[in-house]
Amino acid sequence: MTGDDELLEDTAEDLFENAPCGYLSTLPDGTIVKVNRTFETWTGLRREDLLGAKRFQDLLSPGGRIYHETHYAPLLRMQGSVREIAVEIVRADGTRLPALVNSVLRSDEQGHPQLVRTTVFDATDRRGYEQELLRARRQEQDIAQQLSRSLLSGSLPAAPGFEVEVVYRPAVSGLEVGGDWYDAFWLDDDTVGLVVGDVVGRGIGAAATMGQLRSAVRALALTGLDPGRLLDTLDAYTERHDVGLMTTLISAQLGLGSRRLRYACAGHPPPVILSPGEEPRFAWEGRSAPLGVRLDGPRGEAALTLEAGSTVLLYTDGLIERRSESLTDGLDRLLREVAGHRDETVARLAPAVVRALHDPQHVDDVCVLAARVA
Amino acid sequence: MTAIQRNNVVEHGSPDARPMLFAHGFGCDQNMWRFVWPPFAEDHRVVLFDHVGAGGSDASAFDRDRYSSLQGYADDVLEICRELDLTDVVFVGHSVSSMIGVLAAAAEPERFGALVLVGPSPRYIDDTGYTGGFTREDIEGLLESMDSNYLGWSSAMAPVIMGNEDRPELGAELTNSFCRADPEIARHFARVTFLSDNRADLAGVRTPSLVLQCSQDAIAPEAVGEYVDRQLHDSRLVHLEATGHCPNLSAPQETIAAIRAFIAA
Repeated sequence: MTGDDELLEDTAEDLFENAPCGYLSTLPDGTIVKVNRTFETWTGLRREDLLGAKRFQDLLSPGGRIYHETHYAPLLRMQGSVREIAVEIVRADGTRLPALVNSVLRSDEQGHPQLVRTTVFDATDRRGYEQELLRARRQEQDIAQQLSRSLLSGSLPAAPGFEVEVVYRPAVSGLEVGGDWYDAFWLDDDTVGLVVGDVVGRGIGAAATMGQLRSAVRALALTGLDPGRLLDTLDAYTERHDVGLMTTLISAQLGLGSRRLRYACAGHPPPVILSPGEEPRFAWEGRSAPLGVRLDGPRGEAALTLEAGSTVLLYTDGLIERRSESLTDGLDRLLREVAGHRDETVARLAPAVVRALHDPQHVDDVCVLAARVA
Repeated sequence: MTAIQRNNVVEHGSPDARPMLFAHGFGCDQNMWRFVWPPFAEDHRVVLFDHVGAGGSDASAFDRDRYSSLQGYADDVLEICRELDLTDVVFVGHSVSSMIGVLAAAAEPERFGALVLVGPSPRYIDDTGYTGGFTREDIEGLLESMDSNYLGWSSAMAPVIMGNEDRPELGAELTNSFCRADPEIARHFARVTFLSDNRADLAGVRTPSLVLQCSQDAIAPEAVGEYVDRQLHDSRLVHLEATGHCPNLSAPQETIAAIRAFIAA
């Protein structure tokens, strides 16, 4: 036999012992009955100490052992196989081998489990990289959440006969912050600016854009611009600096003495008006396209005089959108919920409406601002 | 939303017979009972359900505050009992659901006729004079294990795992399709489960109880099963020959026989 032939002459035993993966056979309870040389080399554990004496789960880190008992073993029994489970095997010297493990369960003709075959892949580099990714993702979430929180901090205007409440609820999946924002601030001694907006996108970028637009709206509002002209100027800002295209928002000004509400709505869901003794309704006037969409003329705005004790509710689309449901249904439901809580203070009404309508499986933030004038 | 919808309640057997309520533990869903419940359906009203966040439950019902302790899960059990108008219930709880049953039976003893506690542990972390079997670091290790095993499917697969009742074939394509759970909720449930201490609640139970203890149970060691048996007023401890933490899967016949003997007595 020549040297070449010898190389090709892999015996089954050699294939098993020196396979490029660890190989274990265990009884259904985990007791190890067979192990290959690769596994011994990787772990420093010796077959004479393992066979008949240790169970596979005994070789795992304590946390991994819980995972094995609560996930791995049940899955294996129910599916007959498990794939790509990440575990850490404790080596003879106490260090840990990050591994990816596949198992198949062999059963007899009656379906009674007889034997488990497990392959073990060294995943040291992969696990290190995954942990870096996980760390990076957590970090970005933290930064974005802090950014969003700090941008939305600050006290709300307070005055006799004026109530305002905001509820801001990030999407429950919690992977990234969204770009919803609210604002309420004094324009002069008697007039309050009210804003709710929604920036496209998620994460740090959306939070930063939201911060820029929020400041821009505040600054423009203080120059005395009407809501419609304010949006026109914001359009120019958006285009000039390429910030916040397709953002939707409502810009409103509420005179507390006159109860005069002026508002303009850029592609945003309409405000709800709740007047005493009437059914709540949407204010569908004063509408135009989202920011950055080129228009033929100036943006529209509308005004109305509220009756004493009326409530204005501004919100973002996360409140009314639900999976597998039309927007109309969402809007109808909003009116019903507002009607159902009409006799409560806005401090109770706003959270109650969010609780009733918010679909936590919907991956969008929810922001609600409710204001009432006596 | 009713508890029946929220917890994906599934019933088998005779509606007029004595109810048996099966509660799954951490890490899985009502599939855990698939080898155990069928023979009981012959002479019982079998009720299965998923805890919120697991299996076919409505994950949108998850509320961090409500489920910040096992009491929230026990309240769900009681709501299911109320909606189905169950009395003289044989509650069969695996792992952490043993303690959930303990809390439910302590709160509304009139509903429960018997408790079957499979691998119970009232506290997993060692304490002065008490061996739970784990340290706090071990539990952090578990959370890391969960993280590394959800990494691949947390965002890419979440839409597939959650919802999509209308496209079940998507679920079948998952690597490990049984016992799926919302990763964020599963993490939360792991913390609540393994960091809880319900030792003081055991004495509040008057319902006749059966403790089923496996050998070589890495989650609930024998000393813990014996502790539970000692603390309960009216309890019987049965050592199973089965090893591990899931006799409902690894030794269903032995588990069935032990439960039968207990509820027949």
